[in-house]
Amino acid sequence: MFSSLRSTPAKTVTVTVNSQSVAAPEGQTVWATMALAGQLTTRKAALSGEDRSAFCAMGVCFECLVQIDGTPNQQACLRRVRDGMHIQTQDITETSKAPIQGIPE
Amino acid sequence: MNADVLIIGGGIQGCSTAYHLARSGASVIVLEKDYIARHASGVNAGGVRLLGRDLAEMPLSKASMEMWQLLDDILEEDTGFRQKSVINIAVDEVDIATLKARDKKMQALGHSHERMIDQAELREILPHVHASCVGGAVSDMDGYALPYQATNAFRRAARRFGARFIEGQALNHLRQIGPVWIARTQDKTYEASTVVNCAGAWADQVAMQIGDNVPLSHAAPMLMITARLPHFTGPVVGAVSRQLSFKQFENGTVLIGGGAKGFADRANNTTRLDYAKLARAAKTAIEFFPIMRSASINRMWAGLEAYMPDNLPVISPAANADNAFHAFGFSAHGFQMGPIVGKVMADLVLTGKSDFDLSAFRIDRYDRKTL
Amino acid sequence: MTYDCVIVGAGPAGMSAAIELANAGARVLVLDRAPRAGGQIFRSAANSPLSDSGALGTDYTAGSKLIERFEASNAEHLSEADVWHVGEDGTVLYTQDGIPRTVQTREILLCPGAMERPMPIPGWTLPGVMTAGAAQVMLKSDAMVAERAIFAGSGPLLYLIVAQYLRLGVKVAALVDTTPRRNYLTSLPKVPGALRSWPMMFKGLGMMREIASSGIPVFKGASNLRVLGQDMATGLEFGCREQQRVMSNHVFLHHGVIPHSNISRSLGLSHIWNAAQHCWQVQTDAWGQSSVPHVSVAGDGAGIIGADAAQSAGRLTALNILKRLGRLTPAERDRKASEDHAVLAKMAPFRAFIDQLYGPSKCLCLPQQADTIVCRCEERRLQDLKEGFEQGARDPNALKSLTRCGMGPCQGRQCGPIVSSLLADWRQEPEAQVGYYRLRSPQRLLSLEELSRFQSRPRGGAE
Repeated sequence: MFSSLRSTPAKTVTVTVNSQSVAAPEGQTVWATMALAGQLTTRKAALSGEDRSAFCAMGVCFECLVQIDGTPNQQACLRRVRDGMHIQTQDITETSKAPIQGIPE
Repeated sequence: MNADVLIIGGGIQGCSTAYHLARSGASVIVLEKDYIARHASGVNAGGVRLLGRDLAEMPLSKASMEMWQLLDDILEEDTGFRQKSVINIAVDEVDIATLKARDKKMQALGHSHERMIDQAELREILPHVHASCVGGAVSDMDGYALPYQATNAFRRAARRFGARFIEGQALNHLRQIGPVWIARTQDKTYEASTVVNCAGAWADQVAMQIGDNVPLSHAAPMLMITARLPHFTGPVVGAVSRQLSFKQFENGTVLIGGGAKGFADRANNTTRLDYAKLARAAKTAIEFFPIMRSASINRMWAGLEAYMPDNLPVISPAANADNAFHAFGFSAHGFQMGPIVGKVMADLVLTGKSDFDLSAFRIDRYDRKTL
Repeated sequence: MTYDCVIVGAGPAGMSAAIELANAGARVLVLDRAPRAGGQIFRSAANSPLSDSGALGTDYTAGSKLIERFEASNAEHLSEADVWHVGEDGTVLYTQDGIPRTVQTREILLCPGAMERPMPIPGWTLPGVMTAGAAQVMLKSDAMVAERAIFAGSGPLLYLIVAQYLRLGVKVAALVDTTPRRNYLTSLPKVPGALRSWPMMFKGLGMMREIASSGIPVFKGASNLRVLGQDMATGLEFGCREQQRVMSNHVFLHHGVIPHSNISRSLGLSHIWNAAQHCWQVQTDAWGQSSVPHVSVAGDGAGIIGADAAQSAGRLTALNILKRLGRLTPAERDRKASEDHAVLAKMAPFRAFIDQLYGPSKCLCLPQQADTIVCRCEERRLQDLKEGFEQGARDPNALKSLTRCGMGPCQGRQCGPIVSSLLADWRQEPEAQVGYYRLRSPQRLLSLEELSRFQSRPRGGAE
């Protein structure tokens, strides 16, 4: 299990991780926020659909791609939480279909 | 090393020619300076389309399209070909008028593979298209293939018939002594009675050694491919009056082209990208398909491609030498024609003639013109 | 905006170079992805979220001094500026606050640092498996630790994070040390040279003693590693005299670092195979100058030398750039450089000793089982690559085109070194002959909307 040794009580923000509401110190990485909330699956593997999670935590492996505020392919280890941020496990596989929502304007 | 036929260039034209020749029993060597499908044949957008093709190319292109439908079975390989249809989108009445004019010409010539569609049908086929698009033209037989895979499918099939592929050997010198073509690379010599020039962006240099001068230019069309997106389009999409072209592969990645060119550095075998033009291509893609906004570009590249002044290829016997032939200068739309061009070249080499009227593709068609 | 020098990366090399350049009056811009300078090694050293960052060691806390000197210098520093293209023509494209921007520069200095050597063992893609470097990063930037974790592999960085965990009172399940026993013997001849850097030797030995006396299980000479688990890591299986199993949901892997070369590759710079360190690195001269004269590379990104040496290398590269800019004569450059050249020369034997002692074992560099994943992004396994090779794809790029191995978002960062060495193995030729992936910008996924906002300005215009 991941835990935090953070001592200085920073200002906190509230985000949602897969619809779970989570309080996090401002400036904390999205990955740490997910991990401390026990949500370890950052993305589904594109072919097998298997769970994947952060691997290098320094931006070189691209395993921690999540969807942030609707935009996919965000590196959770590099992005930092902002108040009201919606973080979701990225689930784009070879069989995903885009929902049709009216005529695009 | 000796063979009946020496093919210079391991792109799709060279590999297809090798396949058709080897299948007919000729001994073939393909000489490739990098590796098979390294340049335009391996890194192009993979479009396999009749839609919008120059009328001069239509008979060849149609015959090739019929071959594509069966190519996997013929070659016993996976070319990645998918019949998905290609759509050309019209954004206004001017575009519609352009399409109508072409439609009229095509009908007069008896070509029925392209048809016009209205806004309702456009939206039905492309539910994510922007509301402002008013119609288009569609060619249902069209689709795409995987260029690297398709070119190598020809290579492997040719190899089964005995064709030999020499990679990493650049042609340094080519000359004809009596009935023999002698080709020299850095450390080897090859001899053949016939030579076929399929050297793509480098074909003018080979043509010169054969004895034919040709006004070939080269450029670097750019492409971008995205990370996987949820599926939102089946057909390949283009636009009548805008630089737009993209397709979504079955694996979900979207390939964006449109003809914007980067910088071609032929001497160094390399290309450089023009980001301002890529930015415009990105903008255009979003305008037509707002869903593309959040697409993520994974890779961008450009390939070295040969262009002719009239954008038509050279498919021709040499003008100034016997037992030499050319197939190059496809001007960024030769991938689709690969299967038939190989057949035509094999016919030219083996019988001296072809079933097709090749007069528009003669190498000496510029000789009396001022360019 | 135009600059005399743009530096990409604000780690020890980049910061040191920037200070040197700025002090000499050059117009310098440092672009870095992090919110605060420091690089990976000194990440958050100047603003640690830990109450006692002393547990991370004096090397780390010393980093804050360099950061402060850098921040006080006249070098311009853009934090959270993510560089996604560096052009040979001196154009650097980066995104800050979602907007892509351009700068132009006479000289380019790349300080991309290191990344961990991929370790393709069965199960290395399971959630819960991370690198030891990741454990460090999480600790430094977010004060986050994993309880009862297994640390497996070899090398100073692995032992350092274990020691740091122990000092902070975090429980460790086991240290599974894969350093081959014979390495202790083969590295012996290099010990006398290494003793010239005796404080480093002393520090290393102290760390090992710290771990040994802590009472955590230590398995030496381990081999045949396999991560257990179906949907997530549940433990590690390995051979150490007999078959062993340690259970944990956290497995941190490490067997050395390699230069992070994606930018230098995309720039088309020449690269060489470093047999001693078993990795590719950009080709530079003693001044960090690459095959393209106005592009230099310094620090671990130009060959693994460590944080202390990186500072010297950064300064040396800066001096050469000042010479190139006409701000120093060759004689002045050489005079100012003598001290740092001496420092590097003195450190080299210690590095050679470490390279020998912790040289990666081949069976951890290359996948050993047909179904082990090589390309994490595109889920390509050893058997897929072997099949592609047998179909005639002998070149890394041909193999990539045929199998999609290396086509995913990480741009071959994880599979590239493995593929080079696999092909070298199959072709029975050295890596230098086999080559590496041909790479291009962007350096990371770039959203279409982000790219569409890019506007180039005509060249030569004043701003």
